[in-house]
Amino acid sequence: MNKKELERRKVLDPTVAELLAGMEQRQAEAQMPVRTRQKKARERAKIQSRKEARATYDLPPVIRSAIRELAAQHNLPISQLVSLALIRFLNDYSSEKIALGPYKHPSHSPKYDWVLDLSGELKKMEKEGTIS
Amino acid sequence: MKIFAFANQKGGVGKTTTAITLAHQFAIDGFRTLLVDLDPQGHVAICLGLEKGPGLYRLLGQDESLQEVVLPARSNLDILTSDKSTEKVKRLFTLANFSEKTLHHLLSKSTYDVIFIDMAPSLDVLHLSGLLASDWVIIPTRLDALAIDGVKEIALTMAELSRRGHPFFGYSILPTFFERTTRESFLQLEELTRVFGSHVLPPIPQDTRVREAPAYGKTLMEYAPHCTALLGIHANDHRIGGYIQVFTRLKEMVNE
Repeated sequence: MNKKELERRKVLDPTVAELLAGMEQRQAEAQMPVRTRQKKARERAKIQSRKEARATYDLPPVIRSAIRELAAQHNLPISQLVSLALIRFLNDYSSEKIALGPYKHPSHSPKYDWVLDLSGELKKMEKEGTIS
Repeated sequence: MKIFAFANQKGGVGKTTTAITLAHQFAIDGFRTLLVDLDPQGHVAICLGLEKGPGLYRLLGQDESLQEVVLPARSNLDILTSDKSTEKVKRLFTLANFSEKTLHHLLSKSTYDVIFIDMAPSLDVLHLSGLLASDWVIIPTRLDALAIDGVKEIALTMAELSRRGHPFFGYSILPTFFERTTRESFLQLEELTRVFGSHVLPPIPQDTRVREAPAYGKTLMEYAPHCTALLGIHANDHRIGGYIQVFTRLKEMVNE
């Protein structure tokens, strides 16, 4: 029977592995032409600067698809549309045009005291045809 | 109790700084800590702002108890000092009632939570005695060919001691004076991890503050608590390496 040549992978300390990967990338880049190196550096800086602006939230799927459709309809970036919606909400909240009280329900999770019940709002949107 | 030895037969790799920094961090974290200086240069005391002294000789050569000879250096941190009298200790090992295990017996009876042994850059009988007294050996090394040769020598000595029946729990290799941007650092770190795998700890970045602190008799935590050697180098939104990260790794071992 042919023996397969197997090589056992060494498990590294995760920090050391991360460091090595980063250094390997930099060493590889050091061998590239100046223009390519500059392009890589610009890309890295761009990715880095965008990190601050990134956020991940859970949304009801109907809201997600409604936002996507609206963005497509106006040929806009989704992020900007969501930003506009949040800016409007925060302005309304600070000027007391909208309150969280009516939506609050006690939470069963040890992490939070309250959750918001959005089912009424979603039904209203559906009735008015804002979402399908 | 866990006993860590800091060993590399190559000098100037950061053994004393590493032993002092980690010992003080353990003390700050509430562990009753003893730092033993096995190096006749006696630099442990000086780095902590104290006078070097014959602590080790009084313990091993004059039969005084450990409690009598240790010096309080900081809260929770005692040291066993060395000076040129430590050279005389080496001659004691030729006596019939003295064995390489004597230090091990004396330290293992103590009530400290953690003991650090700072070894001299040599391969003499005191060095063997320090290795035999330890549970875990930390091998600090610069990322250059000569220092890494020292790592190989210590690993071989440990293998020999294991064959003779001394049960080491294990060892770790600690890259020091780490420079992220030099090709030699990268190649040597790559080689170390290829050979020693998970035994390689996150590296300690090169930092001038490390050289300055002993001049003031202060530890790094006292002299430059936010320095790169303690907190690690910046990598995106977090830090990599540094003594605090190494401390957390060792603390896990002590708490096991």
